[in-house]
Amino acid sequence: MSTTSQKHRDFVGEPMADKPVTALSGIGETLGKKLEENGFDKAYVVLGQFLLLRKDTEMFTDWLKDSIGANSRQASSCAQCLKEWCDAFL
Amino acid sequence: MPFAEDPAHLSKSRLKSDLVAHNVALPSAASKKAVYVELHLKHIDQKNAADFSSDEEDRADDKKDAEMPVPSCLTDEDLKAMLRKHGVKPGPITASTRVLYERKLHKLLQSDRRERLNEADKAVLYSDSEEEKKQQEKDQDSGSEKQPDPSDQTQKESSQCFLPSSRLRPCPPRNTESSSNWNSRNALKSSERSQSQCSQIISTSTADHHTGLGSTVLPRSKSTDDSSLSSQYFSITQMVEEMENSSSRSVTDNACEFNGTSVQENWAQSDRPPQEPVKDAFKDILPGSKTTPTGIYVTRRRPIKGAAQRPVQYSYPDSPVSPMTQQRREVERYLVPIHIQILVFIIVACVLYLIYVNVEGSLSYWSYGEDRLLVQAESQDAEADYAQD
Repeated sequence: MSTTSQKHRDFVGEPMADKPVTALSGIGETLGKKLEENGFDKAYVVLGQFLLLRKDTEMFTDWLKDSIGANSRQASSCAQCLKEWCDAFL
Repeated sequence: MPFAEDPAHLSKSRLKSDLVAHNVALPSAASKKAVYVELHLKHIDQKNAADFSSDEEDRADDKKDAEMPVPSCLTDEDLKAMLRKHGVKPGPITASTRVLYERKLHKLLQSDRRERLNEADKAVLYSDSEEEKKQQEKDQDSGSEKQPDPSDQTQKESSQCFLPSSRLRPCPPRNTESSSNWNSRNALKSSERSQSQCSQIISTSTADHHTGLGSTVLPRSKSTDDSSLSSQYFSITQMVEEMENSSSRSVTDNACEFNGTSVQENWAQSDRPPQEPVKDAFKDILPGSKTTPTGIYVTRRRPIKGAAQRPVQYSYPDSPVSPMTQQRREVERYLVPIHIQILVFIIVACVLYLIYVNVEGSLSYWSYGEDRLLVQAESQDAEADYAQD
């Protein structure tokens, strides 16, 4: 089993509904605020961006690093989290 | 600083520092990384292009750049088309995704350029290697020609390569050994040196042969040769010297044997000087080590305490006890000691004996008692009888 955090498992385990952005794995308070400033106030909006990039984790991580200044670990964690959620529910 | 690194890969702080290093005005602190990347691309990449402008290839690249569209100037549709050309299937190009796709296209274009450069370089490399080979051959030829030849033997070099073996014909078995050793030695050294040796030996041998002065000529020529040769090769010349000295004296089997021994001696002698410095260096480090035939020195590693099947023992028993005795002792704890067993046996035996004796005694007593009773009864009867009368 890969090393997934509890947050990751919590997010991927159920439909995201109206969860806030901070529920995403790798997105803490600081990054969550930056995302909200950019207009991504809910997790599903970030999902929207992920889907726009055709579920390409690489491009999504680049976008995260660019827009909110996430580091590689956080960005890849978030991308992986969304990818798995999509695999499960989409 | 890496030359061909994509600015998009660099962090924001790195971009800032690069811009500062190139005396470019920094944008506002809150601006996004994309702005930094653009500035970096504009100023620094242009500078790099200028540095390499002397190369023809980069000039060609610049021309290509002029031909290639800049991603940021493309329309959405064109950007999509370009990406599709490179095998990427882009999603909808919106405000948020456009920058990313532009960067991706930029990366693809750069990688294309790099590939073309590599192909060009490879082509250049192959041509260079051919040229180098030719140069090497020329050097070899010139080097061999420069060997000190007292007589005109350069022309006959190749044909006279076989001379030493022919001179050694009187003793074929030794010959093969020496020639094989010779060959092995030559194989180790570079071809140039072997050729030079060959030529020198030939020159000296032929000089001897032609002039017929015998050993007197050899030392002179040999001294010059020795001085020119390195210490590793003097053994061969020495060997040849010895052989020629011995062959000039006599061509009998005894001479061959002497040759063989002298060859071996020379080999042994030659082996010592080159190897001594190596061994001495090692012996200095490890004075107590034994010499091995292979030259490999190995020391046993100390077993790691606490590793598998080697538990750390903190306390040791006072008296060393063998495992067998330990086992026996453990087993004996459960078993009843022998002395006690014997005691118990004796006690039980006594008890049984007593019981037996008592039973026997009581039996006789009873029988005696019964007799008495019988007698008493009889007496009573008798008395009764008597009374009746």
